[in-house]
Amino acid sequence: MTAPIKKDVNKGYIALLGWSLNAVEAAANFDRRYIVVAPDWAEPYCTEHNIPYLPWNFERLNDRSMEIAEKLRDLGVDAAVPLFEETVEWAGAINSVLMDNPRLFGQSMLMRDKSLMKRRAQLGGIRVGIFEEAHDRDDVIRFLKRVNQTLLKLDGDPNDPIHFKAFDKAGCLGHRVIRTPDDVDAIPEEEFPALMESHLDGWEFAVEAWIHNGKIAFLNISEYVTLGYSVYVPASPALEEYRPQIRQQIEKLIRTFDIEFGFIHPEYFVTSDGEMYFGEVAYRPPGFKVFELLERVYGFNAYQALILCFDPKATAEEVREFFPREVVDAKGYAGCFGVYPRRRVVSTLQIPEETESHAYFESHELTAPMEETVTKRTAFGTHWGLVYFVGDDADTLHKLLKHQEELDFYL
Amino acid sequence: MTDVSNKDSNESSATTTPAHLIDKLDQAIALLEAARDFAKVGKLPRVLDTCRRVLLHQDGLSVIEARAEALENAGVFLGSDWAAPQHLVAPLSRHALTGSVDILLIETLSDLRLLAVARGQYRHPLISAEYANQYLTQILAINLDLLFNPPDEARRLHQGRLTFLPQALLEHLASHIGYEQIVDKLIGEIWRVLEQRPIQTGPAKQMITRIAACQYDPEIALTGAGADRLVSSLFGPTRASREDPGLEVYQERLATMDEMTLQTEASGFARAMHDTGLVSAYHPLLLLHLLENQENLLADALGLSSTGRDCMLCYRQLVHALIHQAVTPQTPQSIYGLALMLERGILYQSPLAPALWRQLRLQLCPEAINRLALVSLPDVPAETRLMEGVLCMLGQPLGVGQGNNPTCQSARALSMWSCNDPDYLLQMVAWAARDDEIIMHFEGQPVSSRLAGAGVALSAPIDLDPVSMVVVPHLDRIYAEMGRRCIGRVGDPHRWINPEFHGWWTGRGFRIGVDVQTGLLFETETFLRHFYASYHPFYNGNQPLIHPQPAGIAVTDSAARFIGWHAVTILRVGLDQESVMRVYFYNPNNDSGQDWGNGVVVSTAGQGERYGEASLPFEEFASRLYIFHYDPLEHGVLAAISAEELHRVMTMIQGSWGESRLPETPMQMLPD
Repeated sequence: MTAPIKKDVNKGYIALLGWSLNAVEAAANFDRRYIVVAPDWAEPYCTEHNIPYLPWNFERLNDRSMEIAEKLRDLGVDAAVPLFEETVEWAGAINSVLMDNPRLFGQSMLMRDKSLMKRRAQLGGIRVGIFEEAHDRDDVIRFLKRVNQTLLKLDGDPNDPIHFKAFDKAGCLGHRVIRTPDDVDAIPEEEFPALMESHLDGWEFAVEAWIHNGKIAFLNISEYVTLGYSVYVPASPALEEYRPQIRQQIEKLIRTFDIEFGFIHPEYFVTSDGEMYFGEVAYRPPGFKVFELLERVYGFNAYQALILCFDPKATAEEVREFFPREVVDAKGYAGCFGVYPRRRVVSTLQIPEETESHAYFESHELTAPMEETVTKRTAFGTHWGLVYFVGDDADTLHKLLKHQEELDFYL
Repeated sequence: MTDVSNKDSNESSATTTPAHLIDKLDQAIALLEAARDFAKVGKLPRVLDTCRRVLLHQDGLSVIEARAEALENAGVFLGSDWAAPQHLVAPLSRHALTGSVDILLIETLSDLRLLAVARGQYRHPLISAEYANQYLTQILAINLDLLFNPPDEARRLHQGRLTFLPQALLEHLASHIGYEQIVDKLIGEIWRVLEQRPIQTGPAKQMITRIAACQYDPEIALTGAGADRLVSSLFGPTRASREDPGLEVYQERLATMDEMTLQTEASGFARAMHDTGLVSAYHPLLLLHLLENQENLLADALGLSSTGRDCMLCYRQLVHALIHQAVTPQTPQSIYGLALMLERGILYQSPLAPALWRQLRLQLCPEAINRLALVSLPDVPAETRLMEGVLCMLGQPLGVGQGNNPTCQSARALSMWSCNDPDYLLQMVAWAARDDEIIMHFEGQPVSSRLAGAGVALSAPIDLDPVSMVVVPHLDRIYAEMGRRCIGRVGDPHRWINPEFHGWWTGRGFRIGVDVQTGLLFETETFLRHFYASYHPFYNGNQPLIHPQPAGIAVTDSAARFIGWHAVTILRVGLDQESVMRVYFYNPNNDSGQDWGNGVVVSTAGQGERYGEASLPFEEFASRLYIFHYDPLEHGVLAAISAEELHRVMTMIQGSWGESRLPETPMQMLPD
């Protein structure tokens, strides 16, 4: 059994907003005091395992928002760390009270609205694709037409797709690719309002940046093999060549959004001419277990890094010592692949033999199917679980991840 | 005979575990080790999956064994039964080794850990090396059949690429624990099982075959007494078959034997058969030879007493016809069944002989033939196999087992009919085997096994005696349908089902010790007093039990924890040789000798049990009972059991399955 970590009362006291076992574990192993703020279903688990806990149901912000902020302030909490998209505005509201800085709340609202976020980026001189808000299906049809007219397509030419993203959903949830009016009909009512963007052919990647005192403390580039399917860190040498430009872009983003501390997770495209387009940015840990991948190759715990960068009592020196050197300190490449069943009816989980006997294969978190019929995928939906790979060569890993798309994990 | 080193069926890859995989295993273990207790559950799947991949390699078992201590310290067993190896129950390993991948893996890790402990490589805080050694010996004895049986369909389905693992694991264990140790234990184990005289002797015969192989291995010194008797009963029970000459040679020898020699052979076979309940493949050759040439020795070859001999002479033609149809070297157990049936004297019941004549000429439906083919050797006609089963069931009513199926009710019914109403049993067999349909009646309404929906068992059983193979699927569907017809009624459905399903003699009076709505204990004291008044000879006017009665048992494991409800038959209640009042009962489970915890150990021999009977002292039985039937017209007054005795039984209930079922109001006040 691991001995409890000695907590340093001179360092910050952190509230984790939302339930994530990995985050809790990281906090338990870190020298900061912490408290988990999560819905009441987490209570028995926290009680059983002596995890500091405060019950709170994160619905829409309401007039009780002040209550949780004051509760945390009274406990002596210094900062609130959002773990999920839904808790970002809560963290903003709470931190604006804890740190006596009302601007933080407005900043967090920007992060929660994809359309506002884009406009702000545009105002800051950051390149974005063509985008527009959609309030109903007619808006979507109009945008699809206009984008394709702009691209000088004739009637009958296959449309270039547009991207449709529900305003306030995290990552790939509610992200649809629209090519035809039929696709438009398939959008459920509750996904409006939404942001529409033109499609950019290019290299898509994401960045994880930890920020302290308004400066980048650590910057990782995550390379997507196929959006919604696979990602690996650090990026391939070819993409890493763009690191200086990417760094500039992130610095621009930090200035534009006026971010002093914490962590951002933006997405970009590099088009074939080397131009970088901003996609969106989130103020919370990325999905697809990128934190776990980073720990695997760099050895530092990304959740602890998160806590550190939110802690107003963290010193510049401590931050500097915490992080490894970017890229050069990474031991190999770590990637993961999100499995979707390829058949309509499945009954068993069977990891393909070629996958699990590959030297790069590390582990998986797939479980046996609960239902036999696979729901048709509409948006970039939720995968059934991740498969992890680790290896020394980015190219091998890239091809390996791509190849998984052709294999059946569920039969 | 089975080749001891059965490497061909080992499907694991012939390669050794690659270094990168071993690294990954060590990393996964380290991550689990480093995790806080609350987070371990998240790190466990990776450890198990990596272990699984390691085990696919030839040296995988050794790789895992070498890390047994690290795995346990990291917390692989945390929060599971395996965390307390001192409480593990060897018979449950069978379920684990034949179960799905996850449980198979955990069991494998646990067994390899015990091996490391037994070999002195891992000093365990909770168990000693001797204990581990002894426990592994039990595991081997219980699962020895997995060592030589090919995996069945269910295992292939559940275990996928790991189907080879149980066998590989047991081989690995055996090669380190030492075969000679298992063989000795195994011999005791086989004797214990055989004393219950199961109808299905296949597993025992396979194990004996294995022992015979060990006898010829110069490296193994067999010390266990009784090995010779077992091996010889199968392979050379008589002077002329002593050296296991083969069927053809023995047949030739028969032709040259005089009456004296035949007499010796006949009594030799009979002695071995009644000694073990097993019949040698040579025995049928002799019997058929005698039938043609020396009929006067038939009774000797069957080992009959004057009762059986008399019965055989009365029904000479029928017995001859039965031998002709049922007795072949592939179906030798038919001889034992025939002998015991004759000894029971049931042929004197007038419907039985004509019913057997019907059975002899029965046209089997294709469904029955297909089901019988699953449990027959090739080239054995379905009629022959079924008749062997019929004779065995009539001769060994308590030898019926439910196999690995949740069909204890059906097995119990078959056994009860054989005991009590054998011509009804034959009627059921005829309907099922000829018509592929059984119709029973429930409260005046017909219930057809064809129209009824699914049974309790989700798939048709494949591991039963011939009669059960044919009849149980029908009974199971009817039983389940009767249950469906009770939906909505207040109370336990067995109240109505048991009398309709088992027979008129099942008491219509019904008592249950549990409140069906809440699952809590209900009127325990009255329940017990009533049970004593109905069944205990000291309290019921010394009335022996007349008909076998169905009863419900709360089965507990060796730590006295509740496992589930189970159907048994109360056969008789009487004093054993030490003047302890015992309940003798039939348990459709294949092996009745079970440890139910807190000292309640079901005895199967040595306490006055007849073959196939299980027994417990009356108090101990009462402490696990939750349902019994009685005749409402004869229930008499509640027994005035002494306060101490009542207290003892109630304490046993509270200390086992009743622990979490205590009603809010305290159990009834004990009288002063």
